[in-house]
Amino acid sequence: MNAPRHLLRIQCIGCVACFLGKPVKRLVLPARAHLQTPGSQHNYGQLLRPFHHSAVCSTSRPSQTQLENTADDETLNKGKSLVTHDDLFERAARDSKTKADFNRVVDVFSKKDIRRRGHVEFIYAALKKMPEFGVEQDITVYNKLLDVFPKEVFVPRNFIQRMFNHYPRQQECGVQLLEQMENYGLMPNVETKVLLAQIFGEKSHPMRKYQRIMYWFPKFKHANPFPVPHVLPSDPVELARFSLTRIADDLDAKITIYQYPSTDITETGEEVMRPHIVGIQSPDQRSLLAKHNPRKPVFVEGPFPLWLRKTCVHYYLLRADPIPPEEKVEEEFDPEMIGPEQSLFYPQRVELDLERDMGDDFSFIVDDVEEGPVYAMCMAGQGDQATLSQWISGLQETCPILGQIPTVFRLDSGPRELQTSSGAQQTPEQEVETEQIIEEEPLLSQRVKQ
Amino acid sequence: MNLNKLIVVSRSVKFGRNLFAARGACLHHFQSRRSIRSSARSLTYAKDLFLGKVNKAEVFPYPEISNEELEEINQLVQPVEKFFNEDVDSTKIDHDAVIPPETLNGLKELGLFGIQIPEEYGGLGLSNTMYARLGEITSLDGAIAVTLAAHQAIGLKGILIAGNEAQKAKYLPKLATGEHIAAFCLTEPGSGSDAASIQTRATLTEDGKHFLLNGTKFWISNGGWADIMTVFARTEVVDTDGQKKDKITAFIVERAFGGIASGKPEDKLGIRGSNTCEITFEDTKVPIENVIGEVGGGFKVAMNILNNGRFSMGSAGAGMIKRLIEMTSEYACTRKQFSRSLSEFGMIQDKFATMTLNAFVMESMAYLTAGMMDRPGVPDCSLEAAMVKVFSSEGSWICVSEALQVLGGLGFTKNYPYERYLRDCRILQIFEGTNEILRMYIALTGMQYAGKILTGKIKEMKKGNVGVVFEILGKKLKDSVVRTVDFGLTGKDGVVHPSLTESAKMFEQNAAHFGSTVERLLYQYGKTIVEEQLVLKKVADVLINLYAMTAVLSRTSRSISIGLRNHDHEVLLTNTFCKDAHFKNNFLLTQLQKNSPENNDANIKKIAQEVLAKRAYVCSHPLDRTF
Repeated sequence: MNAPRHLLRIQCIGCVACFLGKPVKRLVLPARAHLQTPGSQHNYGQLLRPFHHSAVCSTSRPSQTQLENTADDETLNKGKSLVTHDDLFERAARDSKTKADFNRVVDVFSKKDIRRRGHVEFIYAALKKMPEFGVEQDITVYNKLLDVFPKEVFVPRNFIQRMFNHYPRQQECGVQLLEQMENYGLMPNVETKVLLAQIFGEKSHPMRKYQRIMYWFPKFKHANPFPVPHVLPSDPVELARFSLTRIADDLDAKITIYQYPSTDITETGEEVMRPHIVGIQSPDQRSLLAKHNPRKPVFVEGPFPLWLRKTCVHYYLLRADPIPPEEKVEEEFDPEMIGPEQSLFYPQRVELDLERDMGDDFSFIVDDVEEGPVYAMCMAGQGDQATLSQWISGLQETCPILGQIPTVFRLDSGPRELQTSSGAQQTPEQEVETEQIIEEEPLLSQRVKQ
Repeated sequence: MNLNKLIVVSRSVKFGRNLFAARGACLHHFQSRRSIRSSARSLTYAKDLFLGKVNKAEVFPYPEISNEELEEINQLVQPVEKFFNEDVDSTKIDHDAVIPPETLNGLKELGLFGIQIPEEYGGLGLSNTMYARLGEITSLDGAIAVTLAAHQAIGLKGILIAGNEAQKAKYLPKLATGEHIAAFCLTEPGSGSDAASIQTRATLTEDGKHFLLNGTKFWISNGGWADIMTVFARTEVVDTDGQKKDKITAFIVERAFGGIASGKPEDKLGIRGSNTCEITFEDTKVPIENVIGEVGGGFKVAMNILNNGRFSMGSAGAGMIKRLIEMTSEYACTRKQFSRSLSEFGMIQDKFATMTLNAFVMESMAYLTAGMMDRPGVPDCSLEAAMVKVFSSEGSWICVSEALQVLGGLGFTKNYPYERYLRDCRILQIFEGTNEILRMYIALTGMQYAGKILTGKIKEMKKGNVGVVFEILGKKLKDSVVRTVDFGLTGKDGVVHPSLTESAKMFEQNAAHFGSTVERLLYQYGKTIVEEQLVLKKVADVLINLYAMTAVLSRTSRSISIGLRNHDHEVLLTNTFCKDAHFKNNFLLTQLQKNSPENNDANIKKIAQEVLAKRAYVCSHPLDRTF
């Protein structure tokens, strides 16, 4: 891998040498570059920022001199250590790591040397440090980093340069930067494009990379039919509501808030935390539950994980075993009502001794595996039996039959991160009888209880 | 179909050794079936079309009424027409949403509340044909037409067709004079077209002499005024095998029985003058003598009432369009644009042609069906009546809209009656069974009928019986060589006038093609055809077109033969309509072919499913962007 790269570099040097030998071209070149820039600015009218001069126009900050000093130190020490640019970031962010700090480091580097010596190493180091500063999702920061590259130097000037890999290390670095953006799901913007065109030229590898990203990213942007927002609701009730509607893909399903989270002081002065209980049930589930054979038990199972980007929430199911085939009751229809030539409006079935026969059947063979019905789902602040039995008693309001059905709790040890409050589990039994269930009501009314 | 043929042929080779035995058996089978069918007089026309048969004796010649009847009806028509032209203020009825009592009294005096009630009960005792003729005039006001139809086409029809002598004697005289108004109570909040979910219940009292009626009925025309109601309710009936079952029973309920409350009249888009409301029965005591038919037999009563009451919509629609043509042509011939009158513009002429064709076809279909129903015997015309209803309700909507368009902006204002006609006529596609439901009824009833007869043949074909296969292949070969289908409509013993030969040929071609298509559909779908609504819709549309073609061919043949005035115009209309319908049918039948590229059904279903899964329009906005 290294050998060809060296070879290429030697070739490049050769090319540059060629140029140096011909002063006429050097004169022509800036003019052409100049012609190019207004053109691109014309295309993207909203771009007013002069990229060429960005290194010069930076705001002065109090700590800048100090940083510059370190940068100077660093240049002095160059050659001794390979991690010097990392160091620069480390030193800049001893007490805080923010976007502003990161930007300052980049500014300092850009101002320090007009030739931007060591910019490739600096960019690699910066890319590595981005997550630490929390700027890995910020397009402006990437553009700022790209801006570190000197402009027009790496743009191929003739067909031979264009044919071979011109300034491969720089191009590779540019590609790497774009790749990191890609990995974080960040789409480059027009500014990125203009920068790339200025730095590497219209047909360079980073430009190609940019074009590929711009081809695929928009196509995949809405590939997920069930998108999760970047910022999840912080309120646990809202989060539960969101998660439950996400699981239950039925627009008729209704969310019921059985209990809002609250803290109460009992007579003995103990603090009792009451967890939230949010449930969802669709009308179909309700009617299925109403038809459940009361001799068969229903199970409360859980917790099951649901991942929403980086958050994991847990939910519980109320389900039953599949109905054995011998117990299934075929719903009888009055043949008079739906039969052929008898129905009031049109026959619901025809009496023919002919089966469907479409000739060649290209459909897939699907083997249906029968599962037990799921009657309801819920999310709760706590996964203990007492909390969940509150949910079940809440469900009984709409499905009275649930009172006659034996309910079996099959709970795994609850989710660790949700069981941090240890005191809460001590007295829920006392609370069960006096609990009120409030459906879809504002938090205030919860206070009126007892 | 080709693939099927191949499969069949390949199978037939396998079964080749059974050739002679099977063939003999099968031929015998068919012969015996044929002999059974020819023995009884068939009273169906549309159903037989499903078998690819044209039962020309049923529809040719076009039914006529006697001179005396014609004179009688003309005498009746004149005063009614005069009354509607002079005494009925449709604008006021529409605006006030009530028919004034003077108008109602006028209608009663004319005897329009008892058109079909026999004379011995004080009605006019008119036939279906004459009823249709009067319908042409009453349709000039939608609200009155609906009020009258709810009274006698459905409201009292139950007593008329299934009531016993005592019931008739008790109720019909007062209903005939309009002293009592009738209503038909079938629809319920929970059951619109789904009559199986009727919740109203009638329980027998302990003495066994009364039924207690409880429940709510919805959208009852005349519900606010009706004194006599035909109510359908569930009753408990003990089966022959001793099981208790819920069955529908029809009752005659007088408002005087008590426990009946009518809701507020609905505020409607059209037919605003008619009264539509909710009726609640609470422990209404109905004597057992008021059961129509027998207990548990209400279902058949309802079916008969509904199935045969629809034909008059054809003549009603035609009557309305004829009036619209008169009114709009007046405007089109006087209004000048670009220094030419509107009537000279092709696009305006197109509208008038559309209106004329539609009125002509509707009229032909309606009177053909009415004539078939008036024939002695028990003709099965429910399919025909449904077709008339579908065709005329949709035709009326198009024509009224075109008439309004001729006037442009003026038609849109309340100064002209067009907007009222447009609103009134929208209901035609909805009531008495929505057009969707009737299309299902038309297609499925026919499919069931054809299926019963064809099952044996199709099964033999599926089994790969060489005899049947050869018979079919032979028939196909013959068809492809001879290329002409001949049902004997034209030619030496033809029933169609020679000047309509071309149109008749088109009809025959379509009919034959339709028969083979039905057979293939049965082969493909079998009893799952019920689920193929888009297929059934096309089947129904083809059948409606075929029936319409029959009607115009029959009517015009008669007109030419007896030399009616302007019969050359009828020939023109017939040929135009038949050509148009022929192409439409060809397209529909092509769509029905297996794997036809013209068929978009799968896509249509998918679009709907995707939208309905989200319950919203799913496309992104055209201005949205991703970067």
